[in-house]
Amino acid sequence: MEVRQTPLSFLQKNSQKIFLIGSICASFGILLVTVGGSWDITNHLLNKPETFFSPPHALMYSGVAIGLIGAAISFLAYRKLENFKEIFRLPLRLKFVGIFLLVGAGPFDFVWHSNFGLDGLLSPPHFTLLSGMMLCSLGGMFGISRFLQNKESKNNFSNYLLVLATLPVWLAGSGIISSLSLPFSNTDYFQFNPEPTFAFVMATVGYPFLMSLICIVTAKLSGFKPGMISILGGFFLLIYGMTAIVPNFALIESVEFYSMNMIPIVMADLIVSFRKTKKASIIAGGILGSGFYMVYYPYIMYTYNESLLGKLVSPSMIYHTYFELMPQVIQFTIIPAIIMGVIGAIFAFRFSNKTLIKK
Amino acid sequence: MNKLIIIGIIGVSLAVYFSMTVFVLPEKFLAKEQFTPIPFLEVEVSSTQINLGESFRLSTFSENIGDYGDIHIVSAGFPTLSDTEEIVRIVSYDFSNSPIYIEPGEEIGAKYSGGLETVYAQYPQIEAMNRPVQPGTKFVMDFEITPNEPGPFTVYVKSIDIPHTSSSSHYPTEGQLDHQGEYVLVYTVNVNP
Repeated sequence: MEVRQTPLSFLQKNSQKIFLIGSICASFGILLVTVGGSWDITNHLLNKPETFFSPPHALMYSGVAIGLIGAAISFLAYRKLENFKEIFRLPLRLKFVGIFLLVGAGPFDFVWHSNFGLDGLLSPPHFTLLSGMMLCSLGGMFGISRFLQNKESKNNFSNYLLVLATLPVWLAGSGIISSLSLPFSNTDYFQFNPEPTFAFVMATVGYPFLMSLICIVTAKLSGFKPGMISILGGFFLLIYGMTAIVPNFALIESVEFYSMNMIPIVMADLIVSFRKTKKASIIAGGILGSGFYMVYYPYIMYTYNESLLGKLVSPSMIYHTYFELMPQVIQFTIIPAIIMGVIGAIFAFRFSNKTLIKK
Repeated sequence: MNKLIIIGIIGVSLAVYFSMTVFVLPEKFLAKEQFTPIPFLEVEVSSTQINLGESFRLSTFSENIGDYGDIHIVSAGFPTLSDTEEIVRIVSYDFSNSPIYIEPGEEIGAKYSGGLETVYAQYPQIEAMNRPVQPGTKFVMDFEITPNEPGPFTVYVKSIDIPHTSSSSHYPTEGQLDHQGEYVLVYTVNVNP
């Protein structure tokens, strides 16, 4: 006799997989938000949009909607989980708090635009959005990686989901560091630009640490599968290139320069997948950290320009000033960047051992 | 042996990466000339004599005749007015950004400094902006002006392209200076009582 499956029984039977789908939606939603956010910075710089309703904002809030659906699916699945409730509690909570902040940031941003006109990169609604992005992407990352760590059958494809899990965290983290270091936050009403020395330190410490942390966590969670860091780094460069370089006509020819950044990423990948040890990961972390000024081209120039040159730089002059600053920036930051890359790799091991992998 | 090959590949690749990104490519890019947008401006005034209560048209036709630029600005100042309301009306406008109405007393940029030097506006001014600006792009801003007092009615018109790299980045390049210390074309219409 055939037993008919009800939606409830289907949910009960597949609750873990449905929770994974919720996590994928949350991560994908945040990926859209971060891509829209990077595009929005470029749009503000080039076109100075005058209304809240712009294509980058549409992309960002579509991402919020997908993230919201992901959080709702995760919640429904979590209620029917039998054995793994404890494992998936943290991802669910992170997604919930994150999505609450994200959804709240939309109307907050609209009200802010209506009252104070064009807002800068760092503003209360934007920081709410960034915090929501970070928490929600962490929720998605924990959800996906814990599912992969605890499922019985493993296939090669499932590891690639880790790229979707960690890429939004990298982009959201970069967004937080950028908002605390780029001088894009002064408006007619508020002067939220970070103090130049603080911004210098924040960028020099934050970006290399984050790059190394995310790449090594991804490699570690995949069991040092060859190609993971290259795919992740390639997507990061592609997104950054498409949203920050290609839209600016004056920067298009510097794509050649930007694409060189695949070299340290592929080398780091080669090191960790060849040796598969903590020591190798630390070396890879140092290499990744050392290239941060090139990876975060072009806008990182504005941070260092504040302290080192103090020039007025309009968007078509970015690469001239960027390359003019290069020798000084490399001289001041290369050692701290390598150290932060190494620390990021050490932290990645602790982070993935204690927080992500939970059996 | 295998280990040595891998170390060699990594070492050579990183040497190539750092030499290309820190030395070779920056030198190549810095050797290139920066983009220099050059504004050109023509102004047509429908009449040089009108009676009080009548209107005249002042039409600006501007163009970027140089390279790609970030911003193309055309601005019209009204030194004989304290307020443009009900006197100056924009009837045609094709710039990407909405016009900015500057009131007397507002702090504004000066001497083509991009805001590094500022002054306080002495009279109302209307500023049109297009961001960014491709070479050869043309723009129109057309005013209908109805003076409310007899006597000479003066309009200052100028255009600036950003980045402002030299004297060719503004138009006109000589003549009378306005309240911002920037060169302007001067047009006067006599308003008969």
